[in-house]
Amino acid sequence: MTRIPYAPALSRRSVLRLGAGASAGFALAPLTGCAGPTGAPGPGAISLGLNRSLVSLDNKLNQFDAAVTVQRAVRQALTRIGKGLRPELVLADRFEMTEPTAWTVRLREGVRYSDGNPVTVKDVSTALKMYAGVNGSFIVGLFPEMPTVEPVDERTFRLHTKRPVPILDQLMANILISPAAGNRPEELSGGPGSGPYVVTSANSGTGEYTLAVNPRYWGRRPTVDRVRVRFVPEESSRVVAVRSGELDVIDTITPDSAEQLKGLPGVRLDRTSGTRVNQLFFNFRKPRGHPLADARVREALSYAIDGEALVRDVLTDSAQQAEGVVPLALKGAVRTGAYVHDPGEARKRLAALGASDLKVKIIWESGEFPADTSVMEAVLEMLRGVGVRASLQQFEPGGDIQQWRQGRRGDWDVLGNGFSVPTGHASTSLQGMYGGTPEKERTRDTYQGYVFPRIATRLAEASAETDEKTRNERLAAVQKQIWDTRPCLWAFVPDVVLARRTRVRDVGLLQLNSYDLAAVRLEG
Amino acid sequence: MQGALEPPAATEAGPVTRPSAVTARDLARATATRRRRSASLKLWTGAVCTLLVVVPVALAQVLPLPGAGDQDLSKRRLAPLTDGHLFGTDQLGRDVLSRVLHGGQVSLTVGVLAVVVSGLIGIVAGAAAGYYGRWVDAVVSRLLEAQMSLPLLMMLLLVVALFGPSVTVITCVIAIAQWPEVARLTRSLVLVEREKPYVAAAQVLGLPRIAILARHVIPNIVRQASLVVLLLLAQAVLLESALSYLGAGPQRPFATWGRIISDGQDYITTSWWLVTLPGLVIVLLVVGVNLLGDGLRDRTRRRTTEGSR
Repeated sequence: MTRIPYAPALSRRSVLRLGAGASAGFALAPLTGCAGPTGAPGPGAISLGLNRSLVSLDNKLNQFDAAVTVQRAVRQALTRIGKGLRPELVLADRFEMTEPTAWTVRLREGVRYSDGNPVTVKDVSTALKMYAGVNGSFIVGLFPEMPTVEPVDERTFRLHTKRPVPILDQLMANILISPAAGNRPEELSGGPGSGPYVVTSANSGTGEYTLAVNPRYWGRRPTVDRVRVRFVPEESSRVVAVRSGELDVIDTITPDSAEQLKGLPGVRLDRTSGTRVNQLFFNFRKPRGHPLADARVREALSYAIDGEALVRDVLTDSAQQAEGVVPLALKGAVRTGAYVHDPGEARKRLAALGASDLKVKIIWESGEFPADTSVMEAVLEMLRGVGVRASLQQFEPGGDIQQWRQGRRGDWDVLGNGFSVPTGHASTSLQGMYGGTPEKERTRDTYQGYVFPRIATRLAEASAETDEKTRNERLAAVQKQIWDTRPCLWAFVPDVVLARRTRVRDVGLLQLNSYDLAAVRLEG
Repeated sequence: MQGALEPPAATEAGPVTRPSAVTARDLARATATRRRRSASLKLWTGAVCTLLVVVPVALAQVLPLPGAGDQDLSKRRLAPLTDGHLFGTDQLGRDVLSRVLHGGQVSLTVGVLAVVVSGLIGIVAGAAAGYYGRWVDAVVSRLLEAQMSLPLLMMLLLVVALFGPSVTVITCVIAIAQWPEVARLTRSLVLVEREKPYVAAAQVLGLPRIAILARHVIPNIVRQASLVVLLLLAQAVLLESALSYLGAGPQRPFATWGRIISDGQDYITTSWWLVTLPGLVIVLLVVGVNLLGDGLRDRTRRRTTEGSR
């Protein structure tokens, strides 16, 4: 029998095939990295994912909740709002009202900036002037008047106001102190701070920052060496990133995202009651004679909204319907009423008021509050259910909604808006929203045109009352008056929810939706 | 006309002895036969896929489905095939199938209108450039080169940001974005066509140039140009979905495919159907239209080739 010889073990074709295979393997090997999490923070570092871009670590122009955590890690104020919304001392070790219009403050011994220079009284007086010099500052808007500084000695000074400001210690928690020489009436992009961290790299365009421990920090050294801050606008991307370990902490998450993350191994949820009220606020710039200029029509419309269903089904029980004009968690807030769902009553009242064929345009900016689009689409159907012809207009962040809000671009009827105050006191919130005057309205600096001079006067009087009991009584009376003007179609107070990897410990989430970064510990 | 490689038909008398060494099996395996079969397969698959999407979308109003905006908050995020919801429900308890079909009406309307407008602009501009040449050609060619050098999606987002997101604006924007494709093809077809004897004959007869272009040249190239327009339909639907996904689509509560996916992505880990099923519908339509266009193009090319023999 003829034996067929074996083919050569390694033919030229086989060699070529093997070569091609190996080359493809080498070329594609880096792609395997795509299978796992990318950009993990690494040991000794944590990574935070913010839902809004942190344009600056200063807050002279604007301040959103999530930014506070990072801003306070670099720059500090004389006080801060701590647990239970109580003011706590930071750069000051004494902050007392010594007269109705004067507070005595003493800087803490040894407080200094990251460049080693001490924090001085001049820095405080300069900071106040610089904040006052910024046009349209959110922070300045919280102050009934800006205090002036009278130095007493090297560390002590008095803060004077023309009228009593009984919550000045809480308001001053928002004035970040920087060296006087480098302070400007604008948002600072650099310069030393007195906080536990220093900025080692920053890109304000992309909202990415890297912080490292301040070696000259005057207080207890933080345990986490490095902090990476990233702007991740997409909620779903933040959720995926925290699941994969690419991000360690994400805050201000929606109820649906919380539901997705609940019970996952390696992820924990922290939750507390919030101080932000989210409102469907009526446009108070409507001319006299317009149906929405009538409080009875506004009240009738509010009967169309099934708030319980919205809270239970859309917000998955992670919010409460507002029972006052400001969140009840704030000091000085009182219950003033409740939103009632009764479509029949809504139809009847609208018909009686001759507003059956009402058209309502609702505007809002994406991401203004959790599950914003779902809430708006649900409200749209509820209004249609009582015969109101409703339409929606959604603005993307960075759009011109501010112009619309001020009535400079187009007409609208209801604005989806969130309002939070970083002082923890109802009077600040009330003045910010309902303290509008005709003078302010000339420059469109009122809250959606809400101008009721009598309410503004009573609010100012109540806020200036130094006796706490009397102040709270007066504030309660004004809040009831405000409720009667029916400023909102509906309002709710969402819980503050934060998701973190389990290796991140001691995140003391505060009701103001921030936490002390220096207190955070890291395991592993 | 019978193709040159068509096998001879069998007669009743029985199989005819072939006067060639090429067997029927060889003919069946020939490239030309394979191509014809492939074109036919593409055509049928494309037509079936397209009709599977287009027919239900067109009949959305008459199908026994809940309204696209009808909410039932107590039935949020029901899985497919639950409580009579074929595609399940979304985060507000709305029927996903109904939203996909009604959303398809918006997406398809935008797509069809956009390709009709872009087709008209492209054919007119391309034909003028190809036939008249000189400065007309220079202007049209530079315009379409300039537009093709711009990043398409960025340009669309910019225009929508400037003029506001409405169905009209989005249709116009997509139409204007797509005309260069049609214009380029039309121009090259007209360049070939204008050199043919019938054009010279028309010129000798004294017909005005515009009449020659409109009555003789364009009718001869319109079939091939319209096939490109059909292929652009898929691209237009994808562009509209991309714009809606990025938040630049028509205002809510219009349900468009891009927006349904964009809204559903927040629930991707718990409610897969909110993203997957609308995505599959888009895939089905785009693949269908592309196959249909490809098949028609292959068939037209074959007929042209056969006709020229």
